Amino acid sequence: MPVDRTPGTRRIWLPAILLGIFALVAIARLVQIQVVEHGHYSTVADKELIDKTTVYARRGAIVDRNGNVLAISVDTWDIYVNASVWQDASKAGPASEALGKLLSMDPAAIRTSVTSATQKDPDIVQVLVKRDVPYAIGTAIIHEDLDGVVPVADHERDHPEGDLAASLLGLTGIDNSGLAGIEYQYNAILQGTPGKSIFERDTVGDPIPFGQSVAVPPKPGQDLVLTIDRNIQQMAEQRLHDAIVEHRAKGGQLIVADPNTGQILALASEPGLKYSTLDFNDPATTRLLQNSAVSNLYEPGSEFKLVTASAAIDAGAVTPNTTYYDPGYVDIGGTIIHNWEDEALGEQTMLGVLQNSLNSGAVFMAQQLGEEKFYNYVKAFGFGQPTGIDLPGEAVGHYRTPSDPGFSPVDFATQSFGQSITVTPLQMIQAVSAIVNGGKLIAPHIVKATIDANGVEHSVEPKVAGNPISPETSATMRMMMHYDLESPGYRSEGDPKYYLAGGKSSTANVPVSNGGYNDLTQIASFVEFAPLNDPKVLVLVTLDENQDLETGSIAAGPVAAKFIDDVLRYMNVAPDRADYPPYDQG
Amino acid sequence: MAAIRGPIPGARTRARVAAHAPAAARGRVAHPFGSINWWVLGGIIIVGLSALLPVIQSSMVTSEGFSMQRSQEQVANLNGQISILESEIGQMTSIGRIEQRAQEIGLQPPLADPTFIHVNVPGPAPAKIPASYLPAPATTQEHPQSWWQSLFDWLPLPH
Repeated sequence: MPVDRTPGTRRIWLPAILLGIFALVAIARLVQIQVVEHGHYSTVADKELIDKTTVYARRGAIVDRNGNVLAISVDTWDIYVNASVWQDASKAGPASEALGKLLSMDPAAIRTSVTSATQKDPDIVQVLVKRDVPYAIGTAIIHEDLDGVVPVADHERDHPEGDLAASLLGLTGIDNSGLAGIEYQYNAILQGTPGKSIFERDTVGDPIPFGQSVAVPPKPGQDLVLTIDRNIQQMAEQRLHDAIVEHRAKGGQLIVADPNTGQILALASEPGLKYSTLDFNDPATTRLLQNSAVSNLYEPGSEFKLVTASAAIDAGAVTPNTTYYDPGYVDIGGTIIHNWEDEALGEQTMLGVLQNSLNSGAVFMAQQLGEEKFYNYVKAFGFGQPTGIDLPGEAVGHYRTPSDPGFSPVDFATQSFGQSITVTPLQMIQAVSAIVNGGKLIAPHIVKATIDANGVEHSVEPKVAGNPISPETSATMRMMMHYDLESPGYRSEGDPKYYLAGGKSSTANVPVSNGGYNDLTQIASFVEFAPLNDPKVLVLVTLDENQDLETGSIAAGPVAAKFIDDVLRYMNVAPDRADYPPYDQG
Repeated sequence: MAAIRGPIPGARTRARVAAHAPAAARGRVAHPFGSINWWVLGGIIIVGLSALLPVIQSSMVTSEGFSMQRSQEQVANLNGQISILESEIGQMTSIGRIEQRAQEIGLQPPLADPTFIHVNVPGPAPAKIPASYLPAPATTQEHPQSWWQSLFDWLPLPH
């Protein structure tokens, strides 16, 4: 049956054409979005859907050689406020009231700080209200679910021992990175590796359960076991401070080391960093970030005669009983070098040179040794090079050698008794350790071991950098240093009461810019080891610019002697005697 | 109330249908779901359950997700508390705290020099835990001799 088709009218075709055009536009737009610009819109969608957060690793702890905690990271919260949310006064009011109560802060002050931060920077999203809020308070803030308040997890470095060893430990910044000391030197080990969390989020930013996610857990930092003993460190800091006050010194260092292993048992320096009075607005604080025991250079003075004597005896140039005539001075090509206080003692042995600290005798030993051998020994003892101590900012010191421009025989002569040469206190510790430990030059170090996340301890072995002298020379030097402290009819102020020891004092004038020396500024120091036959500790006491102008023997000697007595008793080392021997028995 | 007069509408029709029905059908009791197609019903139930399954699954996933979030929060909380406890242990065992406690119980630093006593008698033997409290020593089992070694031993061969 034929179907009658009504011919289309304008009423039908016009809407059909319009609808068709609309459909074509819609299809074209869909093709543009889903095909042509697929990549762009996919990225935009990912940005909306996918959230990334960095999960910071917990910083490793620092403990002393016996496992006592010196620095540890504690979980805290940084409290931020979402400025746009707090633009609504009905939300800001109650939230700031509750927040102020929890943080013990004035609610109005919190609101003002948020408002002023927004006025300063209109683009700011979150305003920091308080950093390092205790963990329990932060958790309470989370449970309160306050409008616009955003707690962000953080860590705070805690020092249970207070200011003890602060100069050594250093400090961390607000980003938990080390800025000074051990914290800086071992930052890579302590900091660990941050983790990453990538996840699909919902409209309020919470992770969608079982949504697409990638999680790389953070790798916590390793713990550090120091060679420091906290009790010896405290003793060292206290004794150094007392000595500085007593002798009105500008500062000083007291270093205690095990001469056989290079382990530093205590390292006290003053002025030094103190957490309790840290003020970064004070420019002097920046200077305190350097450890003077590592970075301060000074002319060692008479203590350097130990190096000259060791070299001369080891090379066979002299023996302890070799004699020379001391006229009280020595003439080096027309330059007259005097002894301390111009004393002239006539015929003297090499032992007498050390006991009386004769400059002329040190020059005699160096001349017997010869320039080339002298400088070879000085280099072999580690002077002019970094010791390799695991602390930042180590100075190397310098001295002029025959190959340097401007060198003169006077340099050679004065260097033999510790002038015209600059060293660090740690270089002296390293060199004297080699003199008393059998001749091994061992790099001083602060870290004894690291402990990884699995609790496995990795020990740091001592590094022997060379053998500048023989064990026989070392044994001879130990005896000479002992006789420098006590001999028939003589006892030094640096002689310990209960232990047989060996040592040497020094009183070095501080050089001034015109090339001379100022008699009114000096560095008084004393280096000492004990027990005599099996050295367990080496102590260096240095007092910078003591105003009372007492010599190293009088100012630093008793500090070293008392310290040796106390520290060896603490270390359960049996005493050699019950009291000082009478003078006439030696 | 108006009384119904005459036959009930449709009653005659039903009686007529019953008269023409087979004898077996005439004896069967009429069932309210007699005309249901069970295959169709089964299909509908399967489709319904299939539709419900993702809903149930999604609900379970969501609840598990929240439970995981709670567990992660607990882990974070416990880690935070561990760090605080470690710090507190450090504070409680610090030199300053020990000194303070020593002063509280009346201890004072020694004022006089120490007296060293030398004793030329060997110290007491180190204390030992009674054997009954120690784990039984591991019995060492000797390797049993193999049959061919026994055979060699048995045979009168020169060693």
